[in-house]
Amino acid sequence: MGTIAAPTIGYALLLPFIVIFAAACVGILLEAVVPRDLRRAAQLLLAFVAVGVALVVTVSNWAAGGDVVVGVASVAVDGPTSFIWTILLVFGAVSFGMFAERKVTAGVSAFAPMAAAVPGTEAEREAIEARREHTEVLPLALFALSGMMLFPAANDLITMFVALEILSLPLYLLCGLARRRRLLSQEAAMKYFLLGALSSAFFLYGAALLYGYSGSFLLSGIDDAIRNGVAGTGPQGTGLLLAGMGLMAVGLLFKFGAVPFHSWTPDVYTGAPTPVTAFMAACTKIAAIGALMRVFYVALGSDRWDWQPMMAVVAIATMAVGSVLAITQTDVKRMLAYSSIAHAGFILTAFVGASQASTGAREGSLTSVSSVMFYLVAYGAATIGSFALVTMVRDSTGEATQLSSWVGLGKRSPLVALVFSVFLLSFAGIPLTSGFIGKWSVFAAAWSGGMHWLVVVAVVISVVAAFFYIRVIVMMFFTDEPSAAASGSSAAAVVRPGWTTLLAVGVGVAATVVFGIYPGPLLDLAQSAGEFIR
Amino acid sequence: METVTPVLGTGFFTLAWLLVAVPAASAAVLLLVGRAGDRWGHFLGTLAPIASFAIGLCYFVQLLGRDEASRSVSVPLYDWISSGSWNIRVGLQLDQLSIVFVLLITGVGSLIHVYSIGYMAHDPRRRRFFGFLNLFVAAMLLLVLADNYLVLFVGWEGVGLASYLLIGFWQERPSAATAAKKAFVVNRVGDLGMSLAIMLMLAAFSSSSFTDVNEGIAGVSPTLATTLGLLLLLGACGKSAQVPLQSWLLDAMEGPTPVSALIHAATMVTAGVYLVVRSHAIFTAAPAASVAVVVVGTVTLLFGAYIGCSKDDIKKVLAGSTMSQIGYMMLAAGIGPVGYAFAIFHLVTHGFFKANMFLGAGSVMHAMDDDVDMRHYGALARALPITFVTFAAGYLAIIGFPFFAGFYSKDHIIEAAFHASPVAGVCALVGAGVTAFYMTRLMLMTFAGRKRWREGVHPHESPLVMTIPLIILGAASVVGGLLLNGWITEWLNPAVAGEAETEGLVHVTLVGIVTMVVVLAGVGVSFLFFGPQKTVADVQPATRSPFVRAGRRDLYGDAFNEAVFMRPGLRMTNDLLRFDGAVVDGVANGTGTVIHGFSSRLRRVQNGFVRSYALTMTAGAAVVGAIILLGRLG
Amino acid sequence: MNATFGVPWLTVLALLPTVGAIVVLLGSSRAAKVVALATSLVTVVLAVVLTVGLRGGGAMQLVEDAVWIRPLGAHYALGLDGIGATLVLLASIVTPVVVLATWSDYDRAPDGSLSAIAAGETARYDSKIFYALVLAVQTCALYLFLATDVFLFYVFFEVILVPMYFLIGGFGPGARRSYAAAKFLIFGLLGGFVMLASVIGLYVASADAGNPSYLLSDLSGLTLGTGQERWLFLGFMFAFAIKAPLVPLHSWLPDAAEQSSPGGATMMVGIMDKIGTFGMIRFCLGLFPEASQWATPVVMVLAVISILYGAILAIGSKNLMRFVAYTSISHFGFIVLGIFVLTRQTLTGSTFYMLNHGLSTAALFLVAGYLVKRRGSANIDDFGGVQKVAPVAAGLLLFAGLSTLSLPGLSSFVSEFMVLAGTFGKHPVYAGAATLAIVLAALYILLMYQRTMTGPVQPAVAERVTDVSVRERVAIAPLVVLILVLGVYPKPVLSMIEESTTLLQTSVGVSDPAPVVEGSR
Repeated sequence: MGTIAAPTIGYALLLPFIVIFAAACVGILLEAVVPRDLRRAAQLLLAFVAVGVALVVTVSNWAAGGDVVVGVASVAVDGPTSFIWTILLVFGAVSFGMFAERKVTAGVSAFAPMAAAVPGTEAEREAIEARREHTEVLPLALFALSGMMLFPAANDLITMFVALEILSLPLYLLCGLARRRRLLSQEAAMKYFLLGALSSAFFLYGAALLYGYSGSFLLSGIDDAIRNGVAGTGPQGTGLLLAGMGLMAVGLLFKFGAVPFHSWTPDVYTGAPTPVTAFMAACTKIAAIGALMRVFYVALGSDRWDWQPMMAVVAIATMAVGSVLAITQTDVKRMLAYSSIAHAGFILTAFVGASQASTGAREGSLTSVSSVMFYLVAYGAATIGSFALVTMVRDSTGEATQLSSWVGLGKRSPLVALVFSVFLLSFAGIPLTSGFIGKWSVFAAAWSGGMHWLVVVAVVISVVAAFFYIRVIVMMFFTDEPSAAASGSSAAAVVRPGWTTLLAVGVGVAATVVFGIYPGPLLDLAQSAGEFIR
Repeated sequence: METVTPVLGTGFFTLAWLLVAVPAASAAVLLLVGRAGDRWGHFLGTLAPIASFAIGLCYFVQLLGRDEASRSVSVPLYDWISSGSWNIRVGLQLDQLSIVFVLLITGVGSLIHVYSIGYMAHDPRRRRFFGFLNLFVAAMLLLVLADNYLVLFVGWEGVGLASYLLIGFWQERPSAATAAKKAFVVNRVGDLGMSLAIMLMLAAFSSSSFTDVNEGIAGVSPTLATTLGLLLLLGACGKSAQVPLQSWLLDAMEGPTPVSALIHAATMVTAGVYLVVRSHAIFTAAPAASVAVVVVGTVTLLFGAYIGCSKDDIKKVLAGSTMSQIGYMMLAAGIGPVGYAFAIFHLVTHGFFKANMFLGAGSVMHAMDDDVDMRHYGALARALPITFVTFAAGYLAIIGFPFFAGFYSKDHIIEAAFHASPVAGVCALVGAGVTAFYMTRLMLMTFAGRKRWREGVHPHESPLVMTIPLIILGAASVVGGLLLNGWITEWLNPAVAGEAETEGLVHVTLVGIVTMVVVLAGVGVSFLFFGPQKTVADVQPATRSPFVRAGRRDLYGDAFNEAVFMRPGLRMTNDLLRFDGAVVDGVANGTGTVIHGFSSRLRRVQNGFVRSYALTMTAGAAVVGAIILLGRLG
Repeated sequence: MNATFGVPWLTVLALLPTVGAIVVLLGSSRAAKVVALATSLVTVVLAVVLTVGLRGGGAMQLVEDAVWIRPLGAHYALGLDGIGATLVLLASIVTPVVVLATWSDYDRAPDGSLSAIAAGETARYDSKIFYALVLAVQTCALYLFLATDVFLFYVFFEVILVPMYFLIGGFGPGARRSYAAAKFLIFGLLGGFVMLASVIGLYVASADAGNPSYLLSDLSGLTLGTGQERWLFLGFMFAFAIKAPLVPLHSWLPDAAEQSSPGGATMMVGIMDKIGTFGMIRFCLGLFPEASQWATPVVMVLAVISILYGAILAIGSKNLMRFVAYTSISHFGFIVLGIFVLTRQTLTGSTFYMLNHGLSTAALFLVAGYLVKRRGSANIDDFGGVQKVAPVAAGLLLFAGLSTLSLPGLSSFVSEFMVLAGTFGKHPVYAGAATLAIVLAALYILLMYQRTMTGPVQPAVAERVTDVSVRERVAIAPLVVLILVLGVYPKPVLSMIEESTTLLQTSVGVSDPAPVVEGSR
């Protein structure tokens, strides 16, 4: 019979999320009211302003400090959340820049003029004639972004599930909107949707079982249950726990693109419009690993003996499959897709290491969380940068994603080849790039988490990974052009893009090099972000 | 045993390095100056050894003036390798032994330089030839002047290099190039022993200087001393073409004849003897090693003599005899204190008459258009009077004709050998007889009998520049023994802790008489077969006699090396190359291929069908569950 | 302590080539070689001055130390000691030689086409890129030899692969160059990444100990568990054994050498591979003394195997560049042997050996390069009788060869003998086996010389091969002079090295075996 306490919302702390979400809604309205020829400008303005505001608020909140659970205990705005929000917003903004690109495609966006029109029909032709374009992509992306922000911040499983759907649905749509190779794009969207639905089911079921075990959706609640076993922690209780744990894992690992739940990645990354691919590759991974770590560290942290072996196996499988399969790829986007899988694996090593203050990691040494967050920055920067380059290398059929058409690029446009090589070296983890520091820190986290053998396996696999990045460099610099002509595909040329895409590339290179040579501050920041709160 | 500790050289002695520096500098100039030096190169090249000879003479006089105790002078130059407990100096040691060598090398060397001016007159690369000769002289002097084994080793390898360059001087001839390489490589086998010996010294005494080793050797175990002795002997065998490392010397005759005279007769090949005598302390401490030296010497002296009998190539006959004569020296050196001085005595006289005969042979070849086959000679005495006379002097000297050089030096050795062991003595005796046989054969086939000249050959006596050295050396071959006999033993004994006793110029012993008889027998037999009246076939007659064949094939020395080292070595090399490519490299490339194949196989799983993707996911979920459970069970 | 005037001299030294490289890249192709030569010469002067100025009994000098990446405990820390100085000298001496020796090899033809480097093969890029890469390699090498922080060392240990890789793949003659380049890189990365695991382990260990730091000075104070130390040691050793190829990890070297340009091969074998042996001294012995001694027996066996294996393969080698690679494998065997025998003489000898091997290999590669360029082939069978048409070239090759078979009087003899004799005092059997190599060395060098230089002149040789130009002679001259001078009077260098090796020996905690006969000196 207690009195009902007024729920604490903490709007100030939630503001960044709210801003983005609101902007998305407003965006939809704009579509209705703003005349067509102004829409693009309006949408862009809205998106960038929103992201800008959100960024400012996030940073200022973070500076103010204080890890708190708000929104009726459904959202945890703590150090990691702030860090993740920051990089999400930055990378989001950068990829929106690519959304806005028009120059490379002769004045039209990379998106289908009229998604409703069946490919190859009269309607589509008219739409192209009319130079139509879907400006809804930006609100959609904003919705996805808001979901991504909520996902890793969610403090209970329901919120997390909602976030998962908010971030997924718009992405399914965006994947189908490619202007060229539309069938491929739509097929990708379909696959992504079906498998996504399946994974959501896994997630939901897992959540249910965990509730059944602990009687709580709150991560902290589940944690309490495991620690001092409240409800029926009999054998069947543990059964619930383990089953729930496994199913949650499947759901989250799917979004994270870990093997064996990765099979959608190559097809979707290849089919989706490249800007969307960049957005997904960078931001979805960030959100997903954030959520993954929050669930498994906060809720299931005290039972990590059960999931660490499983996750270790997944990590190895992910690294291995990603690297090995990338070797034989002939398509740049596909290769990058597999590389993103491989990197997911490398990130998982740190996650498995689970080196945190709560598990007795020393003061001042890198924790899993902070090392992963650094890795995400390095990886995200290089990923967006390289996808931006992919949009610039074109031939008659649009983006020349055939590796064979990149042959000899080092001769034709040395600068682009050089920049791309920088990204590749960063992916390969060669020092003086942020990728190396990232590798170092995740492996260090894994090692101090006691996973020595995992580190050894990881470094050996990274040799394989390095090999296929190097292969591309060889193609660009050492392989003779004639061989390319023989292989049929016409040599691609670099098209000078608009400033927004250049910005993406610039940000990528800057981050890769600066954080490669002087990563200290960022690492400090990642460390200061500290741990997830309970 | 007492060892001589050298006194520190002062004043003029501190300049001893000039002995080495002068020819070295001249060599450097000749090799670097380029075509510009072609006109005057050979003169500079000849002056260098003469200068060294002059300096050496001064030191000799100085030493003569000193009393016996202080005749060994050490001239430290500078620290070379100092590390840990080592402090290896570069330093020279002038004593009775080294000065004798200095004089021999520079004396005979100068004469041969002079001779070469004429002999190489028509060779476009004469300047370089003289450069190499000077390089050799410098290295050889360093070898005999060094005051420790490591510096000696530098000279040791230096002469090896010079010999390599000079044997292969006519590099365009494959045979010459091969011979040069063979000489160097076989010598390196000897050097293996040499360097191991030095390592052992450093391990044992932390020093390689003669003084420290001589002092230290007394304190070490017999095993160590013996090992040291045997290792040094291996080195000596390499340089001095002693069995089993003899095979290179005969091929070395590919080099220009002056080279054969200087390096492969008078000086370098005797370095082994020098080494043994220099290491007298070690060998005294290691009787077993000394015995080994005796055996090697004895075997080689017969070996060489045998080969000498069966060759028609005049230079190879001389080469065989060189081997055999050095065998005598080794034998003497192996006998120990009573033998050292004799070894050196014979070494010196041999230097005279063998150089003499080689130059003579050169002069003959010069006359016969570089034909070396004695079966194409005959009746040259009249055509080449000076050459004939000087050669005859050398001949009488080597067979030990009374009062000629060889007579003294060799008889002493044979006698000493008899004292040491009858077997060795008998062998030495037989050797003397055989020597007499094949040398007489050489004389008869070359200078006597009927002309067997190929057409177009018009023998003519060589120019003065070549004959004068011949005359001087001829004279030395005549009187060398008379002059040195007696004096040299007294001179050398203190330096080498020797106990060789001095005989008078004419002292008749049983052994002496027997020797004389044997020698005469040898001469007689030779006349029987190759006498002036006999007809000598002008092509080598085929023979079925295994002994003759064996001789013609150098007693299968090369055949042995080929069968035991070369062919298996070659096979191993090729097998290893194949192994490296197939296995070591195969693993590396194989891994790559495997991963690649794995990759393309795995690609097929990525077939684009949602249903199969979903299936993999579900399967994955099952796996995840399984692992979690396993974790629980395990 | 010598006056530094507050200038970070070592940084200046290490960055000079970088500056040069940047200028080369910005400048015109024609100016490239001039700039490269100029900077590399300045580098030599500075290196010599700094080395000569070394005082202080072998301890680190001119020390620079700044925190670089705090969370990683990484410092930007440089220091120069006797061992490092020797290799710094090597790196700075060889580079200008390479520049001068390859002077006009990669100039564009008047019509702007790239220079031909082999039958039907042209270079990928022009001299500008070539010299930029050479200088880049030099910078990395200098940093490696100066670094006193494991992380800094590791960074350049990996980075140097990149310019080297482009040097091989972009300028090597022969069709299989990109295969060779890739192979080179994969082996390099394999070693590097395995080492990374140990580097990380080291960090964690030092973090556990209290303050995470990569400074050698901090780490050497670290106490590690036996097992832990051995694992970490293996990680480092594996990487170093690939760099300074130790059988059976050598198979990348012959291909890389065969497929790369003479200049590239020189930078690779002459300078870069020394990182391996240098690393063994600096890090394996410095950080894991117990583990090093634990591993000694195995390493010594591998070293001796390499010595003989390399020599035998060299005898059978059909290709000049490959030939040099095999000889190097043999020589690296000697160096490694000396390092792990751990006596004063062998440590000093091995360090000196690195310098000498660098010099003689450079001479061998470059002179061979002269001939290969003229003949248009590196196959030994395509030569014959060269000494007739090109006596000076033949002479230079012979000299380089003699230095390779370590003829007494040449510098390589001093080092090889020190290693062998030092080994003999402690492990006579190994020394005996290794000494066999002096015969094999004579065999492989003289066989090669005989096959290529002597005999009747081959027609192709007669028409194509000319004697070396003055510029080419001048390029080799410094090597020849150094090899001679250091052979006759090695003392200055030896004593400089010895000071540091003495410290090292004490820090490892071993002492030389006493001479058999006490009292003798």
